[in-house]
Amino acid sequence: MVAPARPAAPAPASTVPLKRRKAKADEGVITVGRSRSGTILANTAGIVFGVFMLFPVYWVLNTAFKPADEVLALEPGFWPSNPTFDNFISAFKAPLFLKDMLNGVIITLFAVAGALVVGFLGALAIARFQFYGRKAIILVVLVVQLIPFLSLLIPLFLMLQNVNLGFKTFNLTNSLIGVSITYLVLILPYTVWTLRGFISGIPRELDEAALIDGCTRSQVFWRIILPLTGPGLVATSVYGFIQAWNEFIIINTLNSPDKQNLMAWLLQNQTTRGTAWGPLMAGAIITSIPVVIFFLIIQRNIATGLTAGAVKG
Amino acid sequence: MSVVDSPATRRPDDPGRSQQGRVPGHVAPKRRRQRGSSSTPWLLALPALLLIAGLLGYPLIRMLVLSFQNMRLRELLSGRTPPWVGFDQYTRVLTDGVFWAVVGRTVAFTFVSVIISVVFGLSIALLMRRVTRGVRMFMVVAMMFVWALPQLVAAQIFRWMTDSDFGVVNYLVDKLPGVDYQNHSWFVNPWQGWSVITTLVVWAGIPFLAITLNAGLTQVPKELLEAATVDGATPWQALRNIILPILKPLITIVTTLSVIWNFGLFTQAWVLRDGHPEPQFQTLATYSYTQAFGQSRYSLGSAIAVITVLLMLGVMIFYIRQMFRIGEVD
Repeated sequence: MVAPARPAAPAPASTVPLKRRKAKADEGVITVGRSRSGTILANTAGIVFGVFMLFPVYWVLNTAFKPADEVLALEPGFWPSNPTFDNFISAFKAPLFLKDMLNGVIITLFAVAGALVVGFLGALAIARFQFYGRKAIILVVLVVQLIPFLSLLIPLFLMLQNVNLGFKTFNLTNSLIGVSITYLVLILPYTVWTLRGFISGIPRELDEAALIDGCTRSQVFWRIILPLTGPGLVATSVYGFIQAWNEFIIINTLNSPDKQNLMAWLLQNQTTRGTAWGPLMAGAIITSIPVVIFFLIIQRNIATGLTAGAVKG
Repeated sequence: MSVVDSPATRRPDDPGRSQQGRVPGHVAPKRRRQRGSSSTPWLLALPALLLIAGLLGYPLIRMLVLSFQNMRLRELLSGRTPPWVGFDQYTRVLTDGVFWAVVGRTVAFTFVSVIISVVFGLSIALLMRRVTRGVRMFMVVAMMFVWALPQLVAAQIFRWMTDSDFGVVNYLVDKLPGVDYQNHSWFVNPWQGWSVITTLVVWAGIPFLAITLNAGLTQVPKELLEAATVDGATPWQALRNIILPILKPLITIVTTLSVIWNFGLFTQAWVLRDGHPEPQFQTLATYSYTQAFGQSRYSLGSAIAVITVLLMLGVMIFYIRQMFRIGEVD
């Protein structure tokens, strides 16, 4: 369908021809007044830029596959002369690495699943209903995305320490539940906002046709909106996954090391005296792999979600 | 049926709905949807609103309250209500030279890093239009990898590369003729330290900016540019008079987002300074954090956080107005 590629596209019917035009513009780069030497110059600049961008990525890989003595060489080698997996093995064997990895998976899955369910319902409300207070909800969703979450950390910490549910008070700091809920709320506004775009991308005429044909509202939801939002749900949940997986400040403040995630593990690792760079870089690679893979899958949606509509063809 | 009961069910204060009612072909189904029940959308949005209110709204209020109290470790451990101190925390913060130095530093960093990022990002986006297909692919792939890297990992990589003993940056700079950078520490001189942090932030921010702006550039009508070239416009004139005006809304949005992100700088300064940023490497975010969790001055930290949010408020309002203006929010 038309919805997935541009989550917040206002007029879905127009995206198809617009896209085709875009692709054409891409092919036929302006040729009038362009010299060959200019192209060579531009290509050189582009390659130099790409190399500069990739250098740190290359360097972390280079370091991670070096044996310990090559990592701490005064003349750093630009290629591991004796490539080894030792750093990865010692990262896996490092205290709490596997435990924190498991914690991270649990917390992230919980947060993403929760945000998806709750966020989808919220998105449905603001995308498909006209009601008093709708704009206010949109405003809230936009504003809370901008509040630096870090500044709420102090009250959040105090709050989670003493959660009063009426019959009993709980201390949710140093627990997986506390951070899971926090992460859920952290990714919720973005989830609502992006899904809203995907749902608005489904032509209302589809709903209406189904309603005329005798569908109930819940049937419209299950048979039309939910299946058509599928790709959007995937993209949104992947983005939520990345957010929750990458977070470390909150979990590092709320929880002790055995209840943290891999990012916090990476942070802890540096504060111990004398950093073991090899295993640290190997750990960084392991930690990044799921994020990088997921990111490359959905990158198109991230950019458009933040700025969609700013330029109209 | 719909014609008769519509004035009764339609609320006059809802312009969106009355507008829709006017579209002739859509009357029957629209009525039906509206009649569903006005509580349905609220029920759907309720869980999200409750969660946001509970874990974002309430802490926000609590932060405000806290900033008028004096919460120290003793109150935290005993659970007693901390004493009220009125505006004392604010007076203390606002009369503190260190705080103003932090504010100035954060603002200066934001200003410099955003300008460099946006100018550089736009240049790269323009370059991407000029290079051949293969090179463009290479540039996109390189940027995608950088974009995908978690902030913390990127910061750790830079910490390793600028390590004073075994860092590759020292090794390479040392190769330059007449420069001795062996065992050079990049964070003794704050200017050098901040250039490392700025490089990291710009490097990590370029992919978003360049790729987004490049997507915007593809929407600039080719005919306009060709016509301008035929009429003898220099590339610079084409950029100033055609490309930039068309791209302006997008540039405004990405600049605003960059300001919001860079103003809240925490991770990079925190990691590059081993979790203990020296006074000259403190930003508003790290300063508030260290005051609260390092020194157990929770109220003082809250007051700083409140001031930070207030400082950001103008930019945030601007962003939201932009989003409404371009019709993204209908």
